[in-house]
Amino acid sequence: MRLQATLLWLASCVPFTVAIYPDEVNHVDFHHALLGVPTPESTFFLRPPSSSNASLLYTLSEDSLVGAINPRDGSPLWRQNVSRSSQPDHGPGLLRASDGVSSIVSAVGDYVSSWSALDGKLVWENWFVDESLVDLELLHLADPHAAPSSKDTVALFAGKTGVVRRLDGESGDVKWEYKDESGETPFQVSSSSTEVFYISLQSGLLKGTKVKVTSLDPVTGRQTRQVTLNSESDVSGPESILFVGANTASPLIVWADKSQKTLKVNVIGSKKVSSVNIENTSGQEIRSIVVHAPHQLNSLPHFLVHYQTESSSWAEVYHVDLITKAVTKAYSLPRVQGWSVFATSNKDANVFFTRITEAELTVVSSASHGILGRWPLQTPPQGRFLHAVAEVVAKGESVAVRSAAVLESGDWQLIRNGQNEWTRYEALAGAQAASWAEADTQEELAHQLQVEGHETIYGAYLHRVKRHVKDLEHLPEWLKELPKRILTSILSDEVSNLDGFGVSKTVVVATRNGRVYALDTGNHGAVSWSVKASQGEMWNVKAIITQPGYATVYPDDGSSVTFNVTSGGIVKRTSATTKIRSVAVVSNDDTPSTIGINEKGAPLEPLSGPGFFVTSSDDGRVLGWAASNNKVPVWEFAPAPGQKIVRAVARPSHDPVASIGKVLGNRSVLYKYLNPNLVLVTAVGGSSATFYLLDAVSGNLLYTATQEGVDTTQPIASTISENWFAYSFLAHPVHPSDAMGYQLVISELYESPIPNDRGSLGSAANFSSIHDLLPLPHVISQAFVIPEPISHMGVTETRQGITIRQLLCYLPSTNSLVGIPRPVLDPRRPVDRDPTANEAEEGLMRYSPYLEFDGKWYLSHVRDVIGISNLLSSPTLLESTSLVFAFGWDIFGTRATPSQAFDILGKGFSKLQLLATVVALAVGVVFLAPMVRRKQVNMIWNS
Amino acid sequence: MALPSPFRLLLFILTTTTLASSLLTLTIPPSNALPNPHTLPPGTHATLTSLPSSSNPSEGAYNQGHKSTAPLTRTATFTFPALPESSSPTSYLLDIRSAEYIFAPYRVDLAADGSVLGIWETFRGNPWDNRGAEKFLADVSAPASGRDVTVEVKVLARRGLYEERSTFSPLALFKNPMILLALVALGFTFGMPKLMENMDPEMRAEFEKQSRASPVSGAARGAIGGGAAPGNFDLAGWMAGTGNRPAAAAPGTEAEPSQGGAATGRESGGATRRR
Repeated sequence: MRLQATLLWLASCVPFTVAIYPDEVNHVDFHHALLGVPTPESTFFLRPPSSSNASLLYTLSEDSLVGAINPRDGSPLWRQNVSRSSQPDHGPGLLRASDGVSSIVSAVGDYVSSWSALDGKLVWENWFVDESLVDLELLHLADPHAAPSSKDTVALFAGKTGVVRRLDGESGDVKWEYKDESGETPFQVSSSSTEVFYISLQSGLLKGTKVKVTSLDPVTGRQTRQVTLNSESDVSGPESILFVGANTASPLIVWADKSQKTLKVNVIGSKKVSSVNIENTSGQEIRSIVVHAPHQLNSLPHFLVHYQTESSSWAEVYHVDLITKAVTKAYSLPRVQGWSVFATSNKDANVFFTRITEAELTVVSSASHGILGRWPLQTPPQGRFLHAVAEVVAKGESVAVRSAAVLESGDWQLIRNGQNEWTRYEALAGAQAASWAEADTQEELAHQLQVEGHETIYGAYLHRVKRHVKDLEHLPEWLKELPKRILTSILSDEVSNLDGFGVSKTVVVATRNGRVYALDTGNHGAVSWSVKASQGEMWNVKAIITQPGYATVYPDDGSSVTFNVTSGGIVKRTSATTKIRSVAVVSNDDTPSTIGINEKGAPLEPLSGPGFFVTSSDDGRVLGWAASNNKVPVWEFAPAPGQKIVRAVARPSHDPVASIGKVLGNRSVLYKYLNPNLVLVTAVGGSSATFYLLDAVSGNLLYTATQEGVDTTQPIASTISENWFAYSFLAHPVHPSDAMGYQLVISELYESPIPNDRGSLGSAANFSSIHDLLPLPHVISQAFVIPEPISHMGVTETRQGITIRQLLCYLPSTNSLVGIPRPVLDPRRPVDRDPTANEAEEGLMRYSPYLEFDGKWYLSHVRDVIGISNLLSSPTLLESTSLVFAFGWDIFGTRATPSQAFDILGKGFSKLQLLATVVALAVGVVFLAPMVRRKQVNMIWNS
Repeated sequence: MALPSPFRLLLFILTTTTLASSLLTLTIPPSNALPNPHTLPPGTHATLTSLPSSSNPSEGAYNQGHKSTAPLTRTATFTFPALPESSSPTSYLLDIRSAEYIFAPYRVDLAADGSVLGIWETFRGNPWDNRGAEKFLADVSAPASGRDVTVEVKVLARRGLYEERSTFSPLALFKNPMILLALVALGFTFGMPKLMENMDPEMRAEFEKQSRASPVSGAARGAIGGGAAPGNFDLAGWMAGTGNRPAAAAPGTEAEPSQGGAATGRESGGATRRR
């Protein structure tokens, strides 16, 4: 208790806002800035024109995020969401760029945009309503007049008809357009240095598809000639065409016959179709044929065909004769067991092919089969690579290569000369559920203590002595570590190592693609393990419930998978049963039991023992259940007619209250209304939003607040903790004198409006929700106008609840996470007058309706944290520190210290300076002491 | 965004003057808070959020808000290419979203065909009708369509997202008055005896005689006189200007001529007891 009092005093002494120190960035916080899984057609190395000649890695992910990655450390330089199409379901889109051009062009659905390659700012954007993009190419014209800084774009759209458009590289305006009225399927565009080719598929009368190539004049867009290829016996649709060469010196169309015996190659623009035999000596069916060709205008007309069977893979390299348009085989790359991926890169005219197999990375030139570089993979890949891009640097005879490859799991790895440089865990994007997990290191001790508790005094004493003696075996290790620890704690620039104080926790995260990751918050959010957990491709995780040492993931099909938190091993797996809506946890004693909730909001089966829980159903009701009865709910809550429940929140499971009252300036006390079973329900209807405060045990309505003029399409966030709740919405003026803007409302619950009075409770220590008349809270509210919307809210949790709480808010329009200190949001702030002396003593400031977010509240500082949909907080062993973990799209974690880190020595405390002072004083004493002694002796003798 | 067909779109672009909805461009002039607008991060964007149309919102057909965004261009501007059309004139709230810089909010009124009627500064937490400085007002006589509007937006302030860490520097140490006092005292301790030794005896005698008159030099002389030099100097007493006048000191303590009344009573008293 004394400790608590001291801490309370300490917490009240320090100012309640302190921003992050620049030198603590990346120490106390971490951020996985994610893009999503890169698409094979839209990922490349590119050298943006600038003074430095370092190249960057660009990608368009499956989720339509364009990003530039620094290939040195895998950090994103910029990201842009290009899914601004008006069409709801569009593909991932395409991204195109060219060396020496300062902008890259992306197209998704009906939206085409160009972005500055260096800093990710918009160059131009354009919408083509009612059409969707099929193909996109940059025009590489041998045109001396063209400005080198920008290249025009040729885009193919499919609407009612196929349309080819040339878009200006500077403004995005349409220069010309070509309409294909024939009703054929638009398939691709391609271009050579003198022509633009529009490739469409013409369905044959009986069977098969003919490939039609239409040449267009790049300046006017007029049709110059048309070639129809005899492909109807081989090609049945767009999927049978393997490759359409983009911007190569000799653009190609490649397809294979149905029996996969011959490969047909056509140089676009000519009528000639070359046939090449596929030499399949493996005796197995070919699973996939992939053609890799360089995309540069001036590169050699060489290409590689990669064959993959069930158990082996090989490749063949072909050369194209530019004059005769003939295709000849140059050499083949040896067959290896297992998979391999290829990447094409070119340096000037030379073309290099990079091959990654399970064991090694090799580089060959397209001209000859000699291997230029071979590196064994230092760390074997975690699974199979799907596709890769590579950049080859040739220095005389030797080459160096770096290759960015995408793993089956969605991870993105950069391998430089066989060395794994970095891994981006792109599968973490759009995580579905996460939960704090605790390793069971303390389990053994708890067990021992339990044993001691059950023995006789003498036996327990002996047991304890034995335990301590046994602990001594760690002493030599500890002593060995000691000098190093002291030295590093003095010399190193690191923030003190606080892992022993529960700051280093594991978070278990379930991703969309059926994987489960464990992130270590103490180690910059590094991935400790990742496991494929789902049986199928995707899953929909409803909850992750953790116990010390174990984490259980509950997907919506009623199955469950239990993991060991430290190793990631799957401990237990239960099979799918019925579809569930959510998972409820009933914690009796120390064994929490979980139960699935179906769409109607009813638990799937009764649980033994006491306990209750609240569920919500798909038809918009909130139900209260006793754990032992899964048939009839104890109570049922339906909002007013015309309203729809959008959200229900309860107090966090760990929500300690340090003080039961609020001490006012005149030393009287306002008693807090502390009900552990509060539920805040948000219901919307028309232009109003209503907030219902319920007692979860009895279902009684405690308080209602209705807001008019609410834009219900905008996010309405809410949270509840201790004796207060907060919510936020966008309000439109109902009356002309109203303000427009986003509002944040804070409400505090007290037992009575009068200080030192507990209303009907009197001196009762407890109250019952069922047996007595439930006392209603006295609610004090205040609303603030805030500059931007809040989409999700949370509260910091500390060990004993002494540290002031911060209201965590995610701001989706600036991609930031702020923690608003509670004293700022005090609904008792005096309105329209200055605080009296008593109120000032309490720390109340004058109310001002507009609340600008202070820069000090920004937990995410300049970080661009995209798409957070969930905020988790966890207490640590340090009262001052609360861990915050945010996920949804990006992953962000930090340590919040709402009352400053009052119980740890921060980085501002220089141990070196302290030591130097002590040494200086010691030196001073050593020098001065004999001097003083001599003087004193002299004085005595002289007097 | 109600451009009827791609073909008409082409026509519109080729003959820009017939474009129904106007183009709204926001520029950021350099200011004290933001000297170079090109340093803004690429995530900065502008949003237009609508109010429900001026018809009574409490009626059944409630017009929900409309939102459009414009990303930052490489010329540090924001462009809304096609302002939304609606059935009646609509009022919009224009915000520029940036984590680090605070921009002023604006009110944008659009006509039904999407042309800009007026742009004013607005104040958060104030009535919506309370309009601030006018940035743009449509000329009623001119044709409303096909007019491009360019306005400057104002950066109000820059958020301090980081805490300044106080750094240790030896120079800052010398700004501390206690350290300075200690250094002066140290200087007297070591410097003055040397200085006195180098003086010729006559001048020294005169100096001693003079210093009896002033308390400061009296204190200094205490140090010179060698009577328990550093320990004997009562800094607090000297700063208070008390207890050091020779006239007052001499009778209070035992009269020791050689001691010269230099010390305070307590110190010399100790010396007496020791003897």
